[in-house]
Amino acid sequence: MADQYRIAQPKDYYRQFLEKDVRPDNRGLGEYRATVMNIGCVSTAEGSSLVKIGNTTVMCGIKAEVAEPGVDGKNGYLVPNVELSPLCSANFRPGPPGELAQVLSQNMADLIADSQCVKLENLCVCPGKLVWVLHIDLVCLDYDGNLMDACTLAMMSALKSTSLPVVTVDEESGEIKTDPSSRTLLPVSCCPVSTTLIVFDNKLLLVDPTSEEESLATGAVTVVTEGKNVCSIYKPGGTPLTDKQIRDCIERGFIRGKEARSLIEETLCSVDR
Amino acid sequence: MASFIVVKKEDLEKKQNVEPCHTLRCLTSELGCLTRQDGSVSLSQGDTTSLAVVYGPAEVRISRELIDRATVELVYKPKVGLPRPADRKREQIMKSIFEATIITNLHPRSSITIILQETEDLGSNLACCINAACLALLDAAVNMSFMVAAVAVSVADEGQIKLDPSKNDEEKGRASITFVFDSVDLNVVSIVTSGKFSQIEYKAGLELAREASQKVFQFFKDSMSRKLIR
Amino acid sequence: MPTDTRRISGPEISHSPYDYCLTPPIDLIGADKKRLDGRLPAQLRPLFLRAGVISQARGSGYIEVDQTKVICAVYGPREVLRREDFSLKGQLTCDFKFTTFSCRLRRQHQQDNQEKDLSVQLLEALEPAVCLQKYPKSQINIYVTVLQNDGSALSAAIICASLALASAGIEMYDLVLASSVAMRDALTIVDPTEREEEAVLNKTHKAELNAGSMTVAFLPSINQVSAISSDGEILCETLTKSMRLCVENCLKLYPVLQQALVKHRLDKQADTS
Repeated sequence: MADQYRIAQPKDYYRQFLEKDVRPDNRGLGEYRATVMNIGCVSTAEGSSLVKIGNTTVMCGIKAEVAEPGVDGKNGYLVPNVELSPLCSANFRPGPPGELAQVLSQNMADLIADSQCVKLENLCVCPGKLVWVLHIDLVCLDYDGNLMDACTLAMMSALKSTSLPVVTVDEESGEIKTDPSSRTLLPVSCCPVSTTLIVFDNKLLLVDPTSEEESLATGAVTVVTEGKNVCSIYKPGGTPLTDKQIRDCIERGFIRGKEARSLIEETLCSVDR
Repeated sequence: MASFIVVKKEDLEKKQNVEPCHTLRCLTSELGCLTRQDGSVSLSQGDTTSLAVVYGPAEVRISRELIDRATVELVYKPKVGLPRPADRKREQIMKSIFEATIITNLHPRSSITIILQETEDLGSNLACCINAACLALLDAAVNMSFMVAAVAVSVADEGQIKLDPSKNDEEKGRASITFVFDSVDLNVVSIVTSGKFSQIEYKAGLELAREASQKVFQFFKDSMSRKLIR
Repeated sequence: MPTDTRRISGPEISHSPYDYCLTPPIDLIGADKKRLDGRLPAQLRPLFLRAGVISQARGSGYIEVDQTKVICAVYGPREVLRREDFSLKGQLTCDFKFTTFSCRLRRQHQQDNQEKDLSVQLLEALEPAVCLQKYPKSQINIYVTVLQNDGSALSAAIICASLALASAGIEMYDLVLASSVAMRDALTIVDPTEREEEAVLNKTHKAELNAGSMTVAFLPSINQVSAISSDGEILCETLTKSMRLCVENCLKLYPVLQQALVKHRLDKQADTS
């Protein structure tokens, strides 16, 4: 009976839970789903990670290539793309990326640019001749809401684990040589973490929404924090929020940021061992 | 048909001399600049100009039909080339803003389409687009639960905050933030940021933008009354 | 090539760093009669199978054959969107995709010819096993994504897809199993890795008469072969011999697949009760 009610009257169903400050999956309003991370799971990629937030699963693989630099002569390229394949949800069909995938890809690119976590000049192999191109591909394997946070976490942990083979350019002949046996770690200066909240019924804030909660939401806020700084606040429309509510979102973002960063560090340590 | 209005230009110039960072650039609008649409407006904020048109409520494609409310569609056309992911992000932001403002339940199974054409981006483009779209919706007499006003601020390297930045300010600055406020309680409908900023800078920017948003609302009212009186 | 405006694009031309280092040709079999990874010629790699990994899909499967990792989702039966596609028999569609980072060299986002070819082969292997007449007017979609390719990706995909179909409760005549072999001259190796597959089909060895690889899909309980695909030039008698070898190997995998399915059922029961 409860299942039918949930399908027929999802909002009422949620309201009955939320009145008692609990969500249907037993979480509190400000509680994240269990987050699991695996780093270095794809050995064909220069950096890789798998992140699960509840059911939502995102895999990130970073493939490094070399190319000639642009006009500035020293900046490398970071090319993040999010793939929402038809595999991850019945809502997606095969073909070129849809609106959501494009927005997520752009969000990832903005995140890198805003936080400056990987400086483009650090991707220079030989000034004026050769730079690195890092193709950061994020593949969603299971879509159960809050893809933004899963993607950021997957991307940052993959970047932190990325190691590049040593490439040298001969000064005189211009010949390029790669030594696959020795590798260097990619310098990552900081680790931005995003926290997404949705607005339910124009008043309640729910952290880490599932796909069902996302479909019922009247608005969303994503806060990206980096250490003690706010890196970005992204609220694409929806219900107007008071300053206090936005402050609460930022506070929650800082707490989540701390948790997520220690999770990445722990996972990196356990992989190194 | 066309009506140009300039809001408080004398005031603006006077203020510009005293406090050049804390004023909006000159706002001008031309309501009903196109005739075949239900609503159209060309809005300039300083040198930044965008064109917004509204169609609707009209018939909706079956695949996008919603049985209990109208489908809000928003198309952003960049000045050159095809829309890229960055333009899609703009579309998503504006679409969710107007989904919240338009009372969609009044027109079930129909579509309200907003088309934005970037004409000239010389700073604060997103804010200009949002304001243009809101004015176009007013021109088309679409029912809204509140109006929205967008105001951008930029943060310079030394932490100085500038209202309604020009392209130059945006490029030089460390960060820029676009705030969108509702007309009822002046709460925040949308925030889009780029670059790094501190919480103090955010707060200062928010206050500055909120104050300026009232001028934008006044401008909307003046523009509309100008149109109706004529 | 026109640039893809729906993705974030990097520089137009970029190369893999591994283009600039020598990869020595490998011997399929060393002096100690063992292969590069220490296996005997007729030895299979260890296998890991799990059903129900994607929460949004009707059925799903994940397979790991050492370094080859494949994930598969099954959606449907669902309605056919286009009217002209009406038929009394259900439709089965297969979508095979390598992630961009799954191979040694980076792959493109769009499905390339090899992937289209593999989609068809996968469909041909699975179609005879599904009772399509039970699903009139509807379609069943199978989406396969290779997360990492270390050889025998097609056979892994077939096993994974058949597990996903079964876990989705799609009526089938039998489970489908698959196995691959590679051969050169008198040597036949089972379950080849990517480097072995490449070595067999290497152009420099084209002079040899007997070099290629084959994949056989087999329905064990009705003792029928549903698909064979072979690549390269192979002698007729080697082909029949290899086929028999493949069928034998398929039978070895049968209990593994059955166990994975039983475990999935039990887990599901434990969840609901």
